[in-house]
Amino acid sequence: MSELALPQARAGRPSGWWGTALFLATEVTLFGTLFGTFAYLRFKAVHWPPPGIPEPEVLSPVVLTCALALTSVPVQAALVSARAGRARRAVAALVLALVVQSGYLAAQLVLYARDVDRVEPHRTAYGSIVVTMLGVHAAHVAVGILLELWLAVRLAQGLTRYRVVGLASTALYWHVVNALAVLVLLVELSPRL
Amino acid sequence: MTVVDVAGARTRTDRLERIWAHRPGVTGWLTTTDHKRIGLLYLFTTLAFFVAGGVEALLIRTQLAAPNGTVLSPSSYNAVMTMHGVTMIFLFVIPMTTGAFGNYLVPLMIGARDMAFPRMNALSYWLFLASGCFLYAGLFAGSGPNAGWFDYVPLALRQYDPGANIDVYALGLIFNGMSSTAAAINFITTIFKLRAPGMSMNRMPLFCFAILAVSFSLLFALPPLTINCVFLELQRQIGFHFFDVAHGGDPLLWQYLFWIFGHPEVYIIVLPAFGIATSIIPTFAQRRMVAFPLVAIAELLVAFIGFGVFAHHMFATGLSTITLIFFAAASMLVVIPSTIQVFAWLFTVTGGRPDFKAPLLFIGGFIVFFVAGGLSGIMFAAIPFDQALTDTYFVVAHFHFIIFGAAVFPLLGGLYYWFPKVTGRMYHEGWAQASFWVTFVGTALTFFPMHIVGLLGMTRRVYTYGPGLGWSGYNLAETVGAFVLAAGLLLIAANLALSRFRGEPADADPFFGGTLEWTVPSPPPPYNFAVVPLVTSPYPNWDRADREADALRLARGDLVLDEGHETPSSTVRDARLDEILEMPSDSPWPLAVAACVALVFVMLLTRHAVVAGLAAGLTAIALCGWHLQEPEET
Repeated sequence: MSELALPQARAGRPSGWWGTALFLATEVTLFGTLFGTFAYLRFKAVHWPPPGIPEPEVLSPVVLTCALALTSVPVQAALVSARAGRARRAVAALVLALVVQSGYLAAQLVLYARDVDRVEPHRTAYGSIVVTMLGVHAAHVAVGILLELWLAVRLAQGLTRYRVVGLASTALYWHVVNALAVLVLLVELSPRL
Repeated sequence: MTVVDVAGARTRTDRLERIWAHRPGVTGWLTTTDHKRIGLLYLFTTLAFFVAGGVEALLIRTQLAAPNGTVLSPSSYNAVMTMHGVTMIFLFVIPMTTGAFGNYLVPLMIGARDMAFPRMNALSYWLFLASGCFLYAGLFAGSGPNAGWFDYVPLALRQYDPGANIDVYALGLIFNGMSSTAAAINFITTIFKLRAPGMSMNRMPLFCFAILAVSFSLLFALPPLTINCVFLELQRQIGFHFFDVAHGGDPLLWQYLFWIFGHPEVYIIVLPAFGIATSIIPTFAQRRMVAFPLVAIAELLVAFIGFGVFAHHMFATGLSTITLIFFAAASMLVVIPSTIQVFAWLFTVTGGRPDFKAPLLFIGGFIVFFVAGGLSGIMFAAIPFDQALTDTYFVVAHFHFIIFGAAVFPLLGGLYYWFPKVTGRMYHEGWAQASFWVTFVGTALTFFPMHIVGLLGMTRRVYTYGPGLGWSGYNLAETVGAFVLAAGLLLIAANLALSRFRGEPADADPFFGGTLEWTVPSPPPPYNFAVVPLVTSPYPNWDRADREADALRLARGDLVLDEGHETPSSTVRDARLDEILEMPSDSPWPLAVAACVALVFVMLLTRHAVVAGLAAGLTAIALCGWHLQEPEET
């Protein structure tokens, strides 16, 4: 009975990957709702940003987002190394990604604190949606950092299939977070367009 | 020869029994990851909430039985009415259909030994239980949600509703949504990855198609609700502005985001009922579903089109004409896949040899109410009609025909249908048929007159009304109907409760059903299937040769998987056997994580942001503990 013979190697993606992909589908919808709200409020407004609020700054968010997006490279490299059975290399790549991502988060939080004063969420809907969107994005980055930290610790203790699936899921998570970061940036800067 | 085979099979099932044994006592239930036990936990919890929601309904009907009622004060009426809606939707129908029926049946129907993520499955349950307790704790503390189940702003803003009531609502729904999201991810992955070898997508039971459609709807419908509640809390708690015009917000934003969730929600509620109907009808008509692939596609299409009709809830809010026409057209479009299913059900019954036992009677009642409620639904797609009757009892009548008549009747039929499978005993057929007729008459009597009082101008949500409006007789009839309906439900409960202990013993397959759950003993053993079944059609239990081949393989030890806590995984489309998975067994971590998350929400409600942050940290630590337990490498 050929239907009951096990293949040499798994042909499909593991359940863990599917679970993460579906989770990310719902997260992307969440961001879609935030972007949609931004657009909705914008088209209801006469002035966007409202009078008295400066247009968004361009240089530092662009530089920061580029740096964050580039971390997809070491994250993917970590996955490739882990699949090849090279645990130490995978950990090194993860640590590199972690350093850049943590730097991004720290800088983002500094900018965020300044933005809260600048866009005045307590006075305007514009400020409210900008601060909410950036806050949710920062929370995503923070969760991704925690996931990587945990995986780096576990991979340093040895490679298992469970951990490699975990790494594949986390890598997928980061690729999506980074893509969302670019969209968040574009929406944030859209009043300048 | 045969004797040797039987002994071999016995040894293997004994070994499986040992490997999959539950922990004894309460600890076993608190740490369980068995989808059947989690399904039962969901069942009893949702039934408790159903009782609560039912008592609220009876309070509402008693208050409205006659003009100038004084059973409830205006403010307690608001809270009772809101909690009735919130309970029935978020704490009864969704968790009952997905959590109880889906959990118990999907793995059994697809030939798996558990869900894809058994621990996350337990987490879904504990989160659901905690979110329900959260909402009800609010009610008992005098801060129950009180702005209606769709909680429109500006009424729900702090200026007009200064207590914690709306915060309980918003945080409670975010909390509840986490549970439903986790469950949806679990169902989709289970259906994609754990189907028995040979069960390609076109051979999957239609009930599983319905659960698949519901799960996708939940994934994409819940984020707008969550974000909406986040906006509301940010505005209420820390003074952001999303919904007030004076600061650049817009109250209609709430309605858009709510109904982008709220209309798919209607199909989330009713699709599992379709799935149950497509399980019961072939069994009692003793033939395959007519137009099987069309019905499967129609189930998915209903869920998909359900995302494009939401603004028909907003026809009276002053949207532009072009928007109204688009959504009116989309609302008519959704009739097509619904009708395909109605005709497929009817033709299957008429084309077979129907045996009108209680489960099929309930499906008959379901079809009657679904068609009646659907016809009043299509009337609302006519924009002027909707604008005239919006917010009247005609709307209440329409959606109760759908949400109670169409969504709950199959659930009741399903309770009877799978009762022998779950308990190993038969229910009492005569009393079951009597309970159907009482429930049917009660439902019609409760909700049909609402059409008339709606046309006479009675608006929904009023806590009382004056005499001399011509509404009194109809309202009294509705109240009588509500008590008849409650009597019917009590009859069902009594029948099942007594039969649990005194019913005739049921064998594995008392109704000669077609799907895989009828191939295993009643009640199913913890490992579900002694041998991994090989599937060659959508009704594998009717393929006798295949099932005999399974029995021979069990005796031979071919793909029995009795080396560990194992289940097979297969490819997504064709279900070719792909690998053997080592599944996690009992774990205390799901309960621990849910407790930490509950602490986060309680602290957010009581405005202890720092403690809430600490509780979030605890959640992360609990998750680390969870992931320390890894499957053994083979």
